[in-house]
Amino acid sequence: MTTRKTLGIVMMTMVAATGPLAVRSTAQEAGQLARTTAKEYLEQARYPKSSRALKQGEGDPVRAKREVNRVSRRGPDSTEPTLSVWAAKVSFEKGQPVDLFATLETRGKALAATGVAAVTGEIVDDSGAILTQLAYRDDGHGVWSARLPPDGLGGALAASYMVRVRARLANGDLREAAGGFLYSDPAAHLTGHYRDFVRDGDLVIAAEVEVAEAGRFHLAGTLYTQGGEPFGTAQAASQLEPGRRWIELPFYGLMFHDRAAAGPYKLGTLALATTNRMPNALNDLVTDAYVTKAYRLQQMRAVPFERPALVEAAKRLELDADRAQREARKPEQQ
Amino acid sequence: MQFRRFTVPILAALALLAVAGQAAAQPCLIFVHGKQTDTNTFTSYTAARNYWVNGTHDFVKTATKNFATPYYVVGYNGTRPYWESQAAGEVANEIVNATNGGADAGGHRCTKTFAQGGTFWVIAHSMGGTVMDYILGNNDASDLNFNFNGPYDVVAARISLAITTGGAHRGSQGADAVCLQSNPLCSFIAIFIQSCDDATFWLRSSDDVQVRTFANPPARTIYLTAGYEAIFGASACLNGEDDGVVQYASSFACNGSATASYDNTNVCNNANKQEASGFRNLDAAHENHSDERDDSDSDTRRAIPDGNWTCGGVPCAPNTVVQSSMTTARFISTLY
Repeated sequence: MTTRKTLGIVMMTMVAATGPLAVRSTAQEAGQLARTTAKEYLEQARYPKSSRALKQGEGDPVRAKREVNRVSRRGPDSTEPTLSVWAAKVSFEKGQPVDLFATLETRGKALAATGVAAVTGEIVDDSGAILTQLAYRDDGHGVWSARLPPDGLGGALAASYMVRVRARLANGDLREAAGGFLYSDPAAHLTGHYRDFVRDGDLVIAAEVEVAEAGRFHLAGTLYTQGGEPFGTAQAASQLEPGRRWIELPFYGLMFHDRAAAGPYKLGTLALATTNRMPNALNDLVTDAYVTKAYRLQQMRAVPFERPALVEAAKRLELDADRAQREARKPEQQ
Repeated sequence: MQFRRFTVPILAALALLAVAGQAAAQPCLIFVHGKQTDTNTFTSYTAARNYWVNGTHDFVKTATKNFATPYYVVGYNGTRPYWESQAAGEVANEIVNATNGGADAGGHRCTKTFAQGGTFWVIAHSMGGTVMDYILGNNDASDLNFNFNGPYDVVAARISLAITTGGAHRGSQGADAVCLQSNPLCSFIAIFIQSCDDATFWLRSSDDVQVRTFANPPARTIYLTAGYEAIFGASACLNGEDDGVVQYASSFACNGSATASYDNTNVCNNANKQEASGFRNLDAAHENHSDERDDSDSDTRRAIPDGNWTCGGVPCAPNTVVQSSMTTARFISTLY
């Protein structure tokens, strides 16, 4: 554990012993929270919610949503080793095997296989039913893995499954952690056909999808420079009937000016989802999907969008801030 | 002309009064409670209101400056997943009702409607934070789950901001522990987490249930404050600082692993949140998960990275004691 837990009883003892701590600090001036928020909203209002430029150095938000995060848990009283569990992907498409992983580490160093008696897992659905049990195998590099065959899961558009992992150490101690994954049966798939054009000063990339069943579909993508830097993102959602259909991603023209990005552009990541119900059914992330034609910067609009609801919210927050400031000054004037 | 001589000054005075009236209004505070183990807060206003009360201590009373500020208390089904109609759907509908001037089930209403120029701040505790992430992250027709079961777009258009206290933005390791069903040492506050019910299942730390997987950056800024008063037993099952139910990685909406260890010195700053925009740090309080919502523990507050406290005109260094005795409810009352 890297931090000391701050227990109430300890703090109470400290305060009793030392008395109230002398503090020479102040919160932000009256109305500052409202004013800061208003300023932030006016900046965000330059773009529609469906599309925005990424800041210099900002990561690809579409990719980030599909990155897997480990769930880690220590033993009783925060003792090492720590058990960390994860799945190969956030979501697996129907028909794919599910690869699951676990590590046992002490301060970042993997526990030797001789220190571990067994690592096992249970797949549990959202009703609490245990669907199957797994035995993890040591791959020789400190990572334990298990593969769940593709049959036996699914049925719904998508479902969330919990993975209860238990690691029995050679000394008899137990470590437990709860991971999970989505299993998705999306009702549409990208065909790999794309086209691009400029409309009203925005770059539109249309992606063709094969729709098996009518529904609502969401598409999100991130544009990269030819040098491989992500600089803008867009999303769209459409209600589509079965058959081959197009979903258009409009990249707001201002982003090309803000980032001084010259084309052609690379559609670096593309994520499709079926969103009729929760949980959504997620298709696999597609990378390096398409490269657009070259466009001149002058073809793209340079005017801010001025999202009306955000501008209005900012205006009202400014009034809140003014009022708070006036009220704060009142005692001084009396 | 006689008519013009009197009318012009009168109209000017009326206009001035109208502007002054608009400018003088305080935001209406809308309270959204957290996870529950029964449906009481959904079916009983008294239960929803009492969520914020502990004996003579009353979060709503303190945050509203002894009820000088108008308020509205939301009650939803805290046993259902954050995205369901009786959770997010109910909350969205109630917030819209509040902004229309409708009364909560206890007869309390916001003084000015949105149409009259009113402003509205949402105060959410625990799972209430997750619910607000889902609503505000699905307010646009281009979002994954736009208006999934309620008027999310209207909510986002009408509220000014949200403040969460001990918000379960990345779930709770308490939920993980309960759903593992094996460690009796993790004795969580029973009122919040008792079993691996549907709401708890959806508050786990893994990506497949995280609100960030099913929502976009919130359309209105969500300000974050959390407690670091651990609870004996429960906190041994949570990584880093925590309030006995929710660990810092979640209450401060950090990116990366929801189970990463953070404290007041190194908790994620505003550039490292679960979304690229829409989450901002305020501070941390020596309160546990229950204290955060009931105004019962007036205790130390500390600065965190990118928080809102200033020391001598500059941001206070993380972990600086900025108040020796202040509840979260009182802190909120200083922000507007």
